[in-house]
Amino acid sequence: MKKIKAVVKLQIEAGKANPAPPVGPALAQHGINLMQFCKEYNARTAGQIGNIIPAEITIYHDKTFKFVLKTPPTPDLLRKAAGVERGSAEPNREKVGSITRAQLEEIAKLKMKDLNAISLEGAIRQIEGTARSMGIEIVD
Amino acid sequence: MDWWLEVSVPVENEAAEAVADVLSRYAYRGVVIEAGPEGWNAGPVVVKAYLPADDQLRANKRRIEEALWHLGQIRPVSAPTFRSVAEADWAKAWKERLNVLHVGRHIVIRPSWRDYTPTPGDIVIRLDPGMAFGTGLHPTTQMCLVALEEMIYPGAEVLDMGTGSGILAIAAAKLGAGQVLAVDNDPIAVGTARGNVMINGVQETVSVVRGSLAEVSGSYDLVVVNILSKVIVEMMGEGLATRVRPDGVLIAAGILADQGAEVVTAMERRGLALVEQRQRGDWVCLVAKQGYFSG
Repeated sequence: MKKIKAVVKLQIEAGKANPAPPVGPALAQHGINLMQFCKEYNARTAGQIGNIIPAEITIYHDKTFKFVLKTPPTPDLLRKAAGVERGSAEPNREKVGSITRAQLEEIAKLKMKDLNAISLEGAIRQIEGTARSMGIEIVD
Repeated sequence: MDWWLEVSVPVENEAAEAVADVLSRYAYRGVVIEAGPEGWNAGPVVVKAYLPADDQLRANKRRIEEALWHLGQIRPVSAPTFRSVAEADWAKAWKERLNVLHVGRHIVIRPSWRDYTPTPGDIVIRLDPGMAFGTGLHPTTQMCLVALEEMIYPGAEVLDMGTGSGILAIAAAKLGAGQVLAVDNDPIAVGTARGNVMINGVQETVSVVRGSLAEVSGSYDLVVVNILSKVIVEMMGEGLATRVRPDGVLIAAGILADQGAEVVTAMERRGLALVEQRQRGDWVCLVAKQGYFSG
């Protein structure tokens, strides 16, 4: 089995990877073929332009890599559900919006496989934490 | 942009998305989350983002520090660290991987920082890909180069949509094309392509323009479009087929094998007929002709 050097997740817009930051500096330091990644990422995400589609890249010591596409970042899903453009700059003081418990559960189900949570309850707790960090409240 | 400010925040995995969200508000085109070889569950990860060195830099740096401080009132977050990174540093890392490359029967891609002594019959393309697509390493580019080598005839008029580094346009000129129009909508690519056209001495033959298909008039003996299936399908709807002369050829690439059928359908709807499909790895290159059938 090939030895893993690092695991890197890029959260970038579908279809728009190029050698500029963050892709360039993030991948070049590991010596992998930047253009190969960009071309393949763009081809595989071309149908989802406009969304942030994370790519989880496993980089091996021999400078080869493989990547899988992931579900959109939790904050993106929370913002869409709450109908707000951005999270709060001061989440400890200022709330920017709210989502229902049903919406929270829906996001948790979608994100479940990417969160390494062992149960739906665990996933819900993690999403709740992220919502709180963005000034988005959960209402019953 | 010569340098960028890199922001790094070490954080527990569960808080990574919240920190990434803060950084992504001010960062250029997204964020990176790095874990060690053990993966995501083996301790802290590092969230990184890059800020352009422009007149907003100081303000954005302060906004990030403030937003992370506020976030830190809710859950533990380390203070960010900053360092400047030069574009040349990361460009260098992958430039070291580019070597002289032979493609097709006679084409030789020579990165501008490598030495090469040509042998008789070689068609050498000097290339500095900069931040643009088209290093010659990728199967899609190689399949296009091979197709060009087989299909170009002296004096042919060529259109290269999505030229990137200019590699295909320059190859077309060196293979005998009479005129080549190279188009890209990315200003970085246009600058890079122009530079490469100059170092290859083909500026009499190749014009590089910034724009889209809408800016292209006339029709061509050979049209090459090495971008992405979705973009090619869109271009078919915008009249790409009418830019191919009767009996002219369209070479389309940047297409994953499972996306080929969709592109072929779009071509046929506009009166082009698929004459050949080549495949290398997961990628296909489609060759179609104009005016093959009348209906």
